[in-house]
Amino acid sequence: MNLRIIVFFIIGLVIFLLDIGLNSQEDSKDIYVSDQELTSLLSAWQSQVGRPPSDEEIVNIINNLVQEEILYREALLLGLDQEDRIIKRRLAQKITFLKQETIPTEPSESELQEFFETNKSNYFMPATYSFTHHYFSKESNAKERANLAFNALTENGIEPTGDPFFLGKNFYQNTAAEIDRNFGPSFLSALKAIDLNQWSGPHSSAFGEHLVYFKNTSAGFLPAWEKVKGAVTQDYLTQAQDDAIKNYLKEIKSEYRVIINPNYQF
Amino acid sequence: MKLSKSFIGLVTVSTIFMLYASGLYTNFQSDSALEIVDFSIAKPASEKNIPSNPDRVPLYGDLHVHTKYSFDAYIFGVTATPYDAYKYAIGEAIKHPLGFDMKLKEPLDFYAVTDHGFYMGMIENYADTSSKMSKNEWTKPMHNLNRPENVTVESLGARADLFSSVLTQAIIKPYPYWHPKVWKAWLTNNIQVALQSFDYDVHKSAWADVANAAEEFNDPGKFTTFIGYEFTTSTDVEGGNLHRNVIFNSSDAPIRPWTRIDSINPEDLWTWMDGLRDQGVDSLAMPHNSNGSNGQMFEVETFRGSAISKEYSEKRMRNEPVVEITQIKGTSDTHPLLSPDDEWADFEIMDKRVGSRPPTYSMPQGGYVRDAFLRGLTLEWKGQGNPYKFGVIGSSDTHTGAGGFDEDNYWSKAGVLDGTDMGRGSVPLTQDRIDQLDKYADVYDQPISIQEIGGQTYADVGFDQWGASGLAVAWAEENTRDSIFKAFKRKETFATTGTRMAVRFFAGFDLESIDLESEEMVKNAYAKGVTMGADLFGNNDQAPQFLVWAQRDKLGAPLQRVQIIKGWVENASGTPKEQVYDVACSDGLTVDPITNRCPDNGARVNINDCSISNDVGAVELKTTWDRSRV
Repeated sequence: MNLRIIVFFIIGLVIFLLDIGLNSQEDSKDIYVSDQELTSLLSAWQSQVGRPPSDEEIVNIINNLVQEEILYREALLLGLDQEDRIIKRRLAQKITFLKQETIPTEPSESELQEFFETNKSNYFMPATYSFTHHYFSKESNAKERANLAFNALTENGIEPTGDPFFLGKNFYQNTAAEIDRNFGPSFLSALKAIDLNQWSGPHSSAFGEHLVYFKNTSAGFLPAWEKVKGAVTQDYLTQAQDDAIKNYLKEIKSEYRVIINPNYQF
Repeated sequence: MKLSKSFIGLVTVSTIFMLYASGLYTNFQSDSALEIVDFSIAKPASEKNIPSNPDRVPLYGDLHVHTKYSFDAYIFGVTATPYDAYKYAIGEAIKHPLGFDMKLKEPLDFYAVTDHGFYMGMIENYADTSSKMSKNEWTKPMHNLNRPENVTVESLGARADLFSSVLTQAIIKPYPYWHPKVWKAWLTNNIQVALQSFDYDVHKSAWADVANAAEEFNDPGKFTTFIGYEFTTSTDVEGGNLHRNVIFNSSDAPIRPWTRIDSINPEDLWTWMDGLRDQGVDSLAMPHNSNGSNGQMFEVETFRGSAISKEYSEKRMRNEPVVEITQIKGTSDTHPLLSPDDEWADFEIMDKRVGSRPPTYSMPQGGYVRDAFLRGLTLEWKGQGNPYKFGVIGSSDTHTGAGGFDEDNYWSKAGVLDGTDMGRGSVPLTQDRIDQLDKYADVYDQPISIQEIGGQTYADVGFDQWGASGLAVAWAEENTRDSIFKAFKRKETFATTGTRMAVRFFAGFDLESIDLESEEMVKNAYAKGVTMGADLFGNNDQAPQFLVWAQRDKLGAPLQRVQIIKGWVENASGTPKEQVYDVACSDGLTVDPITNRCPDNGARVNINDCSISNDVGAVELKTTWDRSRV
């Protein structure tokens, strides 16, 4: 038993030495087809066609593989992989994925909290305003009517008779962006101060003049940590993947020197 | 005698066998297109109440958007994903294939990505040189088609060629009859599986991605999306465009879109939609570009050429309550030949068949909405039901993921082909571009695509008849999928050519009693009348009254007039008639009772810089009206 192993070992050594002796100047011409490779090729064929390949088809599959491998190696020998954009991009893509896989999938609570602190503005809930208004259409001397109505309302408590507004009278918890959409971009920003529970105006919109009564405003706020944790985790992982590549590039970039012809005509 | 007896016997036996076999067939065969998948994704539930307004608010959106998954969009150089499209709709900037930013002035309320169902996702797969499909010789012209260095203005000719010839020649080729895929196709009633150029897994994953993007961006109360696609069919002769967009009112949707490979007959689409509805998945189909249908979209007979029946009319209206009346490829309201007494009948006309090369004239009769309404009345008069009692919406049909609604923020819709002003034929071509187009005509055996106008040379590719347009507007209580979908179903919708103007429109028999200056006006109108798109029932001696209230786009031009177009058939002969009435004028002017028109309010456009008169026009116009007023 032991003798057999030794004999095999010696034969192997002889073949190895012969191989070195005969092929010392060339690369190996062996094409080794692994079991795994065969299994994956055959199962790919089966999933594509819906049945296992026949013997003849197996021969074809292997022939194709061998052919591809030969052409690939000959192409390498000829240096065809050099300066090929597709190959470069594919390799760049592969290393990108590789680097992205190194980031932890379960960031710690403190890492998430820190990320949240620095990106607070992304999770901020904007301020909202609830108000009612009287509208005076541009169609008939809006400014004058609005001024009269405002005085009558604030001095004598007379309910104004304005015009119906296309989008209605009461606006509930509108954000600044929503108010801009409904009244025009300069409506809210022109208000100097928002005093609750009193009439103010007239304020100009794209459609005329308005007397406005704010019932409620809520300042913008940052939601509680528990409510945003899911979204923060998602954002954290996305950013971590981007950073992984950026940092890797940063580390290694300094070792490279970029040379571009300064006289090139763009 | 004996012979004929045994012959009868044989026929009987084979008939029994056939009946048996067909029973077996239906039991054995599964219909893959009717399988329903829940595409919903787990999202943290919002705690905020969704604001709801019983008087309804106008919500603006686009229901016709293509991304890289559409076969033509990918050829036009588009790499924008459905996710990019939705980002654009909520106000973010995304990239045009030619490198510039596309961004809305104001976000939209709803959006639906509707890629062509036919071969969805396949062209990207051909272009990817690592895919199985790309090993086919005929995919070679598409390899790495949209790698950044290949997406250039210079690639225009090759892309136009791919669009018009290569694809159609290479694409539809079935496997031989003995192939297992052919049997699989038969057993699952999914013909596309039998095509050599088709990979069902790629197709399904593209569709799942479209659905996933819609689910991810749907944000009840703020922004609504619909899972949807385009059913891109046509008549088999003369290329009559019969395209429709299909949207679903749920996270549940079929496992794959029903496409023109399943059937080119729209009636089969409706049967499929009825089948899904029976399983609880509601959907609607919206015909578009009837203008380029060569008169086929609103025919007075069925697809197969038989008479329209009441059942047909009901089935069509059940599935197609709204029609897209305007988009970048022209407005399908009416045509000067159809409405000779309407001075604006030529507004944004595109009188060519969709996708025809060279651009070929499309017959107007049967291709325009106003004509369809009259045809519907005539059919109903004849007792065949009315298949054309639909509401209208606008949409863009962009193929870049980003709708173009304003002329001053516009990139047309065919990516590399018309992303530049020269490519659209808007400005004269430079000499190098002329040479380029000449060369393409030569190399690809295409018609000469330049024309001389006023001593200068312009591209002549049909894009000069396109323009920024349009928006779908739904009167909904709240910005949710269900509320907006219901507005489409009851047809309380309207179209704009891209502006954010709004219009309320009611009909009833007692609307003139409503105080137009009252805050309760809308509430009263809903109580006393019916809204746009609804049926008004009354006696023959009652004349309908209308209430209309229009508001300008706060960032756009003021209003000049409101028109009501009356269409009817004469009782005795069923002859269709049309009359255009101005009903409200700006600047305190009144309608001339002889011409039915507002006097000129002096509004002008300065052709040199596109500026408009800023001292005339109205922010809103409202009135009640009935025929006797004139």
